[in-house]
This record gives sequence, C-alpha cells and structure tokens, in this order.
Amino acid sequence: MHVTVHVVGEDAHEVDLPDPTYGDLIAAVDLNPHEATVLVDGRPVPEDAPVEHDEVRVLRLIKGG
Amino acid sequence: MDCEKCGAPAVMHAAYSGLHLCESHFCRSVEKRLRRRVRDDDLLSDAATPDDPETWVVGLSGGKDSVVLTHILHETFAEDPRVELVALTIHEGIQGYRDKSLDACLSLTDALDIRHEVVSYEEEFGLRMDDVAREDPEGMAPCAYCGVFRRDVLSRYAEALDADKLLTGHNLDDEAQTALMNVLSGDLRQMAKHFDASLGSFDRRGDEHADEFVPRAKPLRDVPEKEVALYAHLRELPTHMAECPHSSEAYRGEIQELLLNLESNHPGTRHSIMAGYEEFAAIVAERFRGDGDGPALGDCERCGATTTRDLCRKCELVEAVHEADADAGVGTGSD
Repeated sequence: MHVTVHVVGEDAHEVDLPDPTYGDLIAAVDLNPHEATVLVDGRPVPEDAPVEHDEVRVLRLIKGG
Repeated sequence: MDCEKCGAPAVMHAAYSGLHLCESHFCRSVEKRLRRRVRDDDLLSDAATPDDPETWVVGLSGGKDSVVLTHILHETFAEDPRVELVALTIHEGIQGYRDKSLDACLSLTDALDIRHEVVSYEEEFGLRMDDVAREDPEGMAPCAYCGVFRRDVLSRYAEALDADKLLTGHNLDDEAQTALMNVLSGDLRQMAKHFDASLGSFDRRGDEHADEFVPRAKPLRDVPEKEVALYAHLRELPTHMAECPHSSEAYRGEIQELLLNLESNHPGTRHSIMAGYEEFAAIVAERFRGDGDGPALGDCERCGATTTRDLCRKCELVEAVHEADADAGVGTGSD
C-alpha cells in the first residue's frame, strides 16, 4: 500500500508497505509509536488499526519536557 | 477500531491493557488515574477543612505534563474548599525557549483563574542558564546546574507560599526511568530517599525531615508520557512543546530508549517496573530510617537552606558561575 505521510512541522514521506497499521507508518518515518500519533482528518487513530487512507499526518507528541 | 466502552471511534490503543478508547473515555481514564493516585497517596490530609485548607503548589513549566496536571487538579478541586492551588513557574533564563512556555503558563492560569507566581534565576541568583551553559565552570551538563537551582527555588517558594504539598508533573515514563537508573546505580540510600521525598504514599513515608522540606508528590505518575501529551492535544490545552536547547541528559536518554523498546516488545514493562520498585523502595526506606547513618543536616552558612555541607550546593554553584563571569569579564543577569 502506498501512503503519503506528512510529519507535522517537518517533511512529507512516501511510504510503501504491505498491509500496514498506523503504528507501522510512524516507525516508517523513524519515529517511535510511543512518541507520536497518526491523525486522519485531524483525529488521532489507534496505532494497531489497519491503514485505510492514502494520506495521513503524523503528530509528534513528545519533544522534551 | 472502536472504543470498548461505548463503540465510538477509538483515538488510541493502550497495548499494556489491550483497551481501545474514544476521546471521551480516554480523557476520563486519564483524569480517573490522577484522582485515584491522589486518593491512594493520601494527598489530601484528613486535617484539611474549609476553615484550614491545604495549599498545594504546582510546579508549572508550560510543558504538557505540568499543564495537564494543573488542568485536572483544577477540574477536580476548584470547588473543594479544603484545597487551594497555586501555580509556580520558574524562568531559567533560556532565551526563546522559556519565554514561549511562560506564555503557555499564563494563558492556562488566566483561563483557570488560579494564583500564579513567576520567579526567575536572574532575580534569585543573578544568573541565566544561557550564561551558565556557556561558562560551565564545573565541567557539568547544564541540567546538573539547573536541577540544583530549580530544587532550591521550588522548595524556598513552596515554603514562602505556606505550601503543604509541592506537586510536579512527572509521568510514568519519567518515574520508570528514575527507578531503573536508581536500580542500575545500586544506590539503596537513593531509593530510600526517593520513596520518602516524593514517591511513597503519605501514610507510608518517614517523617524524619518533615520540618525541613515541603513534601512532594507526583499525581500523574501512573500515566504514560504519550497519553499525557495526547490528553493535552485532545483537550486543546495551551502547551509549549520544544526541547530545551541546553538539554543533555545523555544517560537518561539511553534509559528512555531502552524502556520504550522494552515497552514495545513487552507491553506493561513501565507499570511493572514501578510496582516492584515502589514496594522495594518502601522496604529499603523503612530499613534505613533512623539508623543514624544518613548524612547529618544543617543550615547553609550563606543562605540558610537545609544542607549536609557548610555551603549548600546551590550557593557553591552560584559562586562558581559568578567567578567564571568575572574572569571572563562578562556581567551575568543583564543585557
């Protein structure tokens, strides 16, 4: 599956993965699923859910305290 | 994926519990965990009454953790006459970084209408962390200086504000990292100190130093860092999300990475570390209490702070920074 992943405030990445979950997309842009979430239409989605959209945003939630 | 409580679309999956939760049930779950911790830790003393309320000072940095802590405590206790909340923000003198997070603090306390005190290293010690990081007279990481200065300001102002408790926004990841670092260092006295100073519930802590220090607590310590951040995002709380430009806790970073990898492969690792560590630290704290082998506490000859030395660590570092500035012919504390 081909997905365009926009990391909010950073670059966009083109990702090709077979049957990915949203957590796989976070890992594919070199982030840890414990520090970021995927937004679909502006709403967070669970990282274990299968990807159903070909364009998503990844929001980094953790950048220092 | 739907919420297991109501069937609405889920916004998160907690692998350690297996639950998928929607926005509403997730936010309620974060609030519930904080309130349960307040109860389990006996944070609100039975002696608190509407006529003689407790003052809880909250260390508010403007980062997600302290903003979420302040928000939920306010939601919980705004109508409770037994508790008065006061926010305390420290400006370390880090250009750009702390100015923006102070804005987040001010918009939160304005919106909640709670008392808010702002103090700066510049006014307190005549120095700024930007200068300290540049001069580095002791050859240490900036965080090592900043931690000493912060603890001094927090405890002095907590006392000046007549605080009964000093609350900080440490989350599950922070506490699990500290626990693992203490275990790896093999320093049992440090674990005992951790338990009595800020970790243990109030009915299990020793009271040997109750007169010298305002007791601390961490009501958010059951909530993983990502969930704290997700809560702040969903509730649209004003937070400042940036890494301190002087941040350099390399060892903690290593431990953080190790823990997150363990958590990915073995969900629940952070919770189980804390459950075991807390019990272990309680036993160790009990073992060391009153054994007379702990360091003797006295007053700093310069500032009067409680210390094990003639001159406290804070006064020692302030002096070193000022001397380095004088040698370099630079005036700290002014532009």
